[in-house]
Amino acid sequence: MLISKRDKILFYLLLPPATTLLCFLVLTILVISSISLDSIQIFGIKLFISNIWNPEHEEYGLIAPIIGSISTSIIAILTAFSLAMPLSIFIAEYLYGFTKKVFSSIIEVMGGLPTILYAMWASTYLVPVLKNYVMEILYSQFSFIPLFSCKPITGFSVFAAGVSIGISIVPYVVAMISEAYQSIPFAYKEACYGIGATRYETIKMLVSIAKPAILASLILGFARSLGETTIAVATVGNSMYLSSCIFAPSYTVSALIASQFANAYLYRYAGSVLYVGALVILAISILLSFLGLTIIIKWRTRLVV
Amino acid sequence: MYSWRKVKDRMFFVLILTISILAITPIIHMMVAVLANGFPMILKAGWGFFVKTPPTPLSQDIGGIAPSLIGTAILTLVSLPITIVLALFSAILVNEFPRNPLSIAIDVVAKSLASIPTIAVSMVIYILVVVPMGRFSALAGAIALTIVALPYAYTYISTVLGSIPLTYREAAYSIAMSRWKTIVKVLLPIAKRGFAIGILMTMARILGETAALLFVVGRYRTATSISIIEPVDAIPLLIFDYILTPYPIMQQIAWASAAFLLLIYITIFIAIKIIVKEVRL
Repeated sequence: MLISKRDKILFYLLLPPATTLLCFLVLTILVISSISLDSIQIFGIKLFISNIWNPEHEEYGLIAPIIGSISTSIIAILTAFSLAMPLSIFIAEYLYGFTKKVFSSIIEVMGGLPTILYAMWASTYLVPVLKNYVMEILYSQFSFIPLFSCKPITGFSVFAAGVSIGISIVPYVVAMISEAYQSIPFAYKEACYGIGATRYETIKMLVSIAKPAILASLILGFARSLGETTIAVATVGNSMYLSSCIFAPSYTVSALIASQFANAYLYRYAGSVLYVGALVILAISILLSFLGLTIIIKWRTRLVV
Repeated sequence: MYSWRKVKDRMFFVLILTISILAITPIIHMMVAVLANGFPMILKAGWGFFVKTPPTPLSQDIGGIAPSLIGTAILTLVSLPITIVLALFSAILVNEFPRNPLSIAIDVVAKSLASIPTIAVSMVIYILVVVPMGRFSALAGAIALTIVALPYAYTYISTVLGSIPLTYREAAYSIAMSRWKTIVKVLLPIAKRGFAIGILMTMARILGETAALLFVVGRYRTATSISIIEPVDAIPLLIFDYILTPYPIMQQIAWASAAFLLLIYITIFIAIKIIVKEVRL
């Protein structure tokens, strides 16, 4: 590949700065796994099947935060998808000219905003609204379903965190869905209208073509909400409580780390256990984003122009 | 004459419109709420907002956010140039030698790292920088921010470089310019405006990052520090800590800081829009 000598020199000159990220990834994996190893050796599988946070007696079990993280992310991605899918279609198909520009600008702004603003807004405004108008109603009507079986007390819960994170990743998901949707060749659309399809039927056709890419953007959105920290801390309720009910306060792994890391040095294994938690979400999110990116690349190459 | 298909088409439109409005309402409400809550507090704090230290639970005066403001400025000034340079080199390497296995690895890693939980970055930098140094520092914070922002900057810059038509490169080679000269004299100047946007977006990313700074900068806000090896604070951290306290005076300064942050973001965004418009001309 590298033919001339000069090209070779250029390649080697560029190499050191370019490999920073690669080195950091290796370092991250080394650091996090070597520190995690301490407590994995001591506690073993107990860390992943029990639920306890008692540093005074050096007893730890991470099942509640891990399940909390996963269920929060599932709720987040469901929320984000049900808002982002119609929004992307609306922008791509029904808006033209100036209004289209305004709408996409608003979404771009949304995507760039720091999550701390969402966290603040969600804990002050969104959680009370969700509690009074969504959680209470679901509880009073459907409390026989285990998911809705507990009375929302403060409103700070897995459900609140999921919806808040979901709203914050809407712009991200919209950007990915729109990109996929717009990369479908125009010929498909022309063909649909050409045989007299209505707009609804055309959109249905295009969405079905974009399906793999939409799935990929959901996977990437899931990975992103798994690592979300600030919004989770502000809305999840922060308690080591394991329950099938999504209206109960709980923890996510990143919220646990954010609130316990500062004091962890006081105890022998608390810090190490937090690194185990980080290792779990890191592994899941890197695997998922790799999977998501692979699906998108495959879909692109298969798309017939 | 209305057929069932046309009715379905209309119903679909109404559904899409309703959900779209529903999707965009929270954000509009958020921006309005932050400005409505925070702006009066900025006015209440007056110039003190930029020069005083934050209030304690019992203080009467709303104080200011000088330590956090200076901290954020230091962190941004240190990490932004490093991020951009590293991202630029990575992007050039991948763009020039796209089939090399190392380039492919860099590309994949950069894209996957964009969704790495930023709190994990904070934990790693804590071990790699804070523990050996023996204290929290702006330096550790800047390194953490660089790691967080690098994938974004890289993705953006490589998109810009990749979108330059191949004909420019062919033209440069045809007059016997070397690869390096082509990059510096032809490709980079063409992508100038794209880079400007990339730098602004990276800056926005760095300014608002909270989780990556949690365990590395020390949240030192009782006085203003301008040294790079001393502990500092950042505006998002101040908001993060103060919004969860029960004291009204601390919540007020948190709202004021949030409004200030939002105003900076809106400014950056308008700047980006102006640059984009110039590109079209």
